Amino acid sequence: MSIPGLGYIAPAPPPGSAAAAAALVETTTVKLQPFWEYRFEVPAATTLTVRLVSGTAEKDGTELAPHTPYVFTRVKSKINTWQTCELEVTSPNPDAYHAYTATPATPDATSLVSYLNLHMKLEGLRAAVQRTIENKNKNNNNAVGMGPRVLVCGPAGSGKTSLARTLAGWATRMGGQPMVVNTDPTHGMLALPGTLSAAVFATIMDVTAEWGGTPSSGPTAIPVKLPLSYLFGLRAPRENPKLYRALVSRLAVATTSRLADDPDVRRAGMLIDTGDLGHSGAAEDGDGDGNTNTSGYDMLAHVASEFSANIFVVLGSDSMTADLTRRFAGQKTTLGEDIAVVGLGRSDGAVERDAAFMQSVTEATIKEYFFGDVRRNLSPHTQQVPFDAVTIWKVVEDSTNVSSDEDFYDPAASDSSLERVEPSLAMSSCILAVVYAGIHDDPDTIRDANIMGYVWVAGVDEAKRKLKLTAPVPTRLGDRPMVLGNYPEPVIGLTG
Amino acid sequence: MSSYQESEHFAEDFREALEDLQVNNRYDIQNLTMIARENTEHALAIAQTLQNHIKRVAAHKKLPSLYVLDSIIKNVGTPYTLFFGKRLFETYMESYASVDMATRRKMDEMLKTWKEPIPGSIDTRPVFPPDVTRPIENALIKARTSAMQAQQQHYRNEQQLLGRGRPMPPQQPPVPYRETPTPPNVRPSSQASGYPGNHANGAGPYGPPAHAPGQYPQHQNIPMPTRSTPQPGASTPAFQPPYPGGYGMPQPGISVDALNNDIQQLIAAFKAEFARGPHDPSIQTRLKALLDLQSILQTQNLPQDQLVLIKNRIAELAVTIRATPAQTPTPVPIAPAVAVAPPPSAPPAAPKVSIDSLLGSGALAALLARSSATPQASTPQPPPATMAVRSPQPQRVELPKPSAPATPAPSDALSLMEMLRKAGMIPPPSTGPAGSSLPPPNQAPPMSLPFSLPLLAATGPPTVEHMTSDITFTTHSLKQLRPQLIPFLFDSLGTPCTQCGRRFKNDADGKKKKTAHMDWHFKVNQRIAEADKAGQNRGWLVDEQDWLNTRETIDVIGGVPTAQSNATQGGVCPICQEKFKQVYLDEEWVWEDALEVGDRIYHASCHREATGGSSSVVAAAVKYGGGGSRGTPEPVLGKRKAEDDLTSLRAGKLKMEA
Repeated sequence: MSIPGLGYIAPAPPPGSAAAAAALVETTTVKLQPFWEYRFEVPAATTLTVRLVSGTAEKDGTELAPHTPYVFTRVKSKINTWQTCELEVTSPNPDAYHAYTATPATPDATSLVSYLNLHMKLEGLRAAVQRTIENKNKNNNNAVGMGPRVLVCGPAGSGKTSLARTLAGWATRMGGQPMVVNTDPTHGMLALPGTLSAAVFATIMDVTAEWGGTPSSGPTAIPVKLPLSYLFGLRAPRENPKLYRALVSRLAVATTSRLADDPDVRRAGMLIDTGDLGHSGAAEDGDGDGNTNTSGYDMLAHVASEFSANIFVVLGSDSMTADLTRRFAGQKTTLGEDIAVVGLGRSDGAVERDAAFMQSVTEATIKEYFFGDVRRNLSPHTQQVPFDAVTIWKVVEDSTNVSSDEDFYDPAASDSSLERVEPSLAMSSCILAVVYAGIHDDPDTIRDANIMGYVWVAGVDEAKRKLKLTAPVPTRLGDRPMVLGNYPEPVIGLTG
Repeated sequence: MSSYQESEHFAEDFREALEDLQVNNRYDIQNLTMIARENTEHALAIAQTLQNHIKRVAAHKKLPSLYVLDSIIKNVGTPYTLFFGKRLFETYMESYASVDMATRRKMDEMLKTWKEPIPGSIDTRPVFPPDVTRPIENALIKARTSAMQAQQQHYRNEQQLLGRGRPMPPQQPPVPYRETPTPPNVRPSSQASGYPGNHANGAGPYGPPAHAPGQYPQHQNIPMPTRSTPQPGASTPAFQPPYPGGYGMPQPGISVDALNNDIQQLIAAFKAEFARGPHDPSIQTRLKALLDLQSILQTQNLPQDQLVLIKNRIAELAVTIRATPAQTPTPVPIAPAVAVAPPPSAPPAAPKVSIDSLLGSGALAALLARSSATPQASTPQPPPATMAVRSPQPQRVELPKPSAPATPAPSDALSLMEMLRKAGMIPPPSTGPAGSSLPPPNQAPPMSLPFSLPLLAATGPPTVEHMTSDITFTTHSLKQLRPQLIPFLFDSLGTPCTQCGRRFKNDADGKKKKTAHMDWHFKVNQRIAEADKAGQNRGWLVDEQDWLNTRETIDVIGGVPTAQSNATQGGVCPICQEKFKQVYLDEEWVWEDALEVGDRIYHASCHREATGGSSSVVAAAVKYGGGGSRGTPEPVLGKRKAEDDLTSLRAGKLKMEA
């Protein structure tokens, strides 16, 4: 279907090829014993349909409904079972995807067992909080009980996000409403990459997507999760530590307030995914900054203290576990709880997702944001806007780190975080975030404002001084400031 | 095991809470009542703890604790009524003996309320059944009388001294009958009047010791603490003779009426359990057994000692009603009652089988044998005056007869007792705690389970908190496989929704949620189909303030968009003056459970109440709400379709214009 002004063609195969494709469809049956996993890597070019025929199976803590087809594409993931299950796997292009069954020798060796124990322990803590809240309420005291705040950290590719998602899935399943926080700008949670966000997960998650998409008009079969997000606009926190810290603090204030007011969320606590904070510094090229590793830990410490994390889970790095234990174990959170640091191995089957794959995922996410996916077509709106009618700010890189031992106070953020920019040809194909602020607000306010949505710069006509912007909703742009980041990178072929 | 410990922990907590109760503080007492209400699975432990506490605390603290008991009885009721009732005499009299006059007056007042229905309740039965309160009254009257006599005769001149509570020389037993106390358990059938049988013959944990609690001596040389102290140490039978006719009846020790009430309560409770878990065969069999027992009681005049037995059994069964169904994965033997049924007699076996399951194998046979062997002729008129006649179901009683010969008909009550004992229905007389007196499991499997559970094993389902207490945040601890945790994610959550896999419990609450959930799926699917034609787009996210005010909604569709009248009404319902709950549904902010009438927005439920549900708006809204099956209409749900018809529901229009 063609959308006026965009020429977006849904990739509908011609009728003839459908029959041909049908002939190629191969159905295999996968039988899993308890603790086995079916791991698969599906490239963008094909799809993999999984149907649970019998038994129970789950993906990242969310159970598969029986006999319901789940279509996966552009994903490296796994489906596991605790009991037994039989999966029916179908793909139109059997050679394009890679899949195998992991059959651990002993259940104790699987990381899912550790995760389950971790989750159950968290549930135990939540139950205790519930009791505390009830008792406190009866005595008319201020209820101070708060569910566990779990910080998941570790090097890239160790399965942090999977663990966070698994813990969230299990918690939701048992009736909890955990606050899930993503402080990793390299990928977005219910938002585009380059964004820090938080959302309460009270309902079942979309098994086929990482976290699910951002809310859209109209009903969805999977209940929407409403994120609160702030634009960081850079790939790594060290590219602008000041901004990163400010946004983390901002997010922490919001989530903590929500926890304070919302007893269901308070009981369930937080699950914080951190990206590879604390580790990346040493691993990556280090731009002249000698002690990046320490500063990485400083940022991790900042995240932990802002969210009052009381449980640190370190995946896949013994040295990091040791460092963090030395640094945090035995200390107390701002709420007076003891901090526990526990190291677990790399997630079984966690795969390094290379840059090209990540790039493809990012592009797909952006495309999905504007146009929807196979399940749901969205109609974005493209409009011409004069240069003068929009206010655009740009996130600047500033790798000067603030010292770890002084509290972050930033009286002069205006000269380091955002700068006002004029529309230019260089903005073509970029993503702009529209934020909840006024166009005359000062840069700090704009920096601290949460994201309303994104627009894509479809074209820049410097001669006519006009911008062509694709927005998700047909509304006037220009009433709100827009912020441009370096990340995610411009998406050239969005409409092609 | 685990749950037993849990119950112990709980009792410990409860005891600590009780110890904090120093004075008559309404708030604290309500608080403790709430705890009792919310933890009926620990009812037995709570009742024991409270009664022990009352026994133990200093005199000036007894009244607040008694008020806790009173509050629990009046606000929670079953099963506490049964648990407290067992030892109420002891608890009350002992406290009465040790407190001062002012407190006694308060206790008198409290006792008076126990004989009456709960004020404002539709239940016309007294707080405690008369057979519980009457012995206390009798004892008090008796004690007062004799104290007064004693006072007149001996202490006329020494009142001041006595008033100070100086221990009295055991001058004269206040009760003349005390020289011939009847050890209760020796010859139960010889007790002419059997109030105490209730306590004395108790098969439960309070059996023999209840009669002679260690705290006060059994014999005459009881120091009288104050002058008008009723003499609690006197064993109850002693109080009886002076008032044999006082209550009209030939004085059955246990009022059939009260027993019927208890059974009625239990039946109600079991019905509730049954509604929650209709697939549990053990509940079914027990419910049926209770119904059968009820009909027997109503149609037959059973001798006193059997009533005593039945009563004790009922009281114990009340323990299980809370505990058993809550057992999560306990392998309950499925319909074991059938297994123990004697092979012959096909249709008549049914009621017998279930009574067996209730009272133990052979018990009914014993009962029937007894009733056929003894008094049928002598008491041909079953319902005495006080007995509540509840549409008797006479024929059923006769049904089980074929099985009667299976046990030799006993010729007197003693041998009946013996037989019941053998049948496992009552414990051997010498054993104290009920735990050790379990019937052999092979004889009465359905019995052994429920009776052992509350006392030995479990009073509630194992909780996650308890099951995970051994897990620590260390790599080693987290790596150990704990297979017992896995069911928490699967079977204990119920069965999954076929559309999305979310699990719903199989109890009544879960069913309700599942219905709402399936409604939600249905409506969403319907609207997805509609929306596909209309075209959709990604919405803007909400701003921070709205996000903070959001509460997650589960399976809810409908509401009034908040945008249009936040300002005019300040976000409150004009009827109840409470704020609307703001939720984000689909693409917009709405107030949940809101209904727009004219230009005002009300809580739909408030409006319905205010207008008596007759408002055409509401009626129409409900109709268009589509749900219909649910209690709360979702008035604005159908606004898109309905707006032409419902001009009063402006919400839809406003929204479309927006």
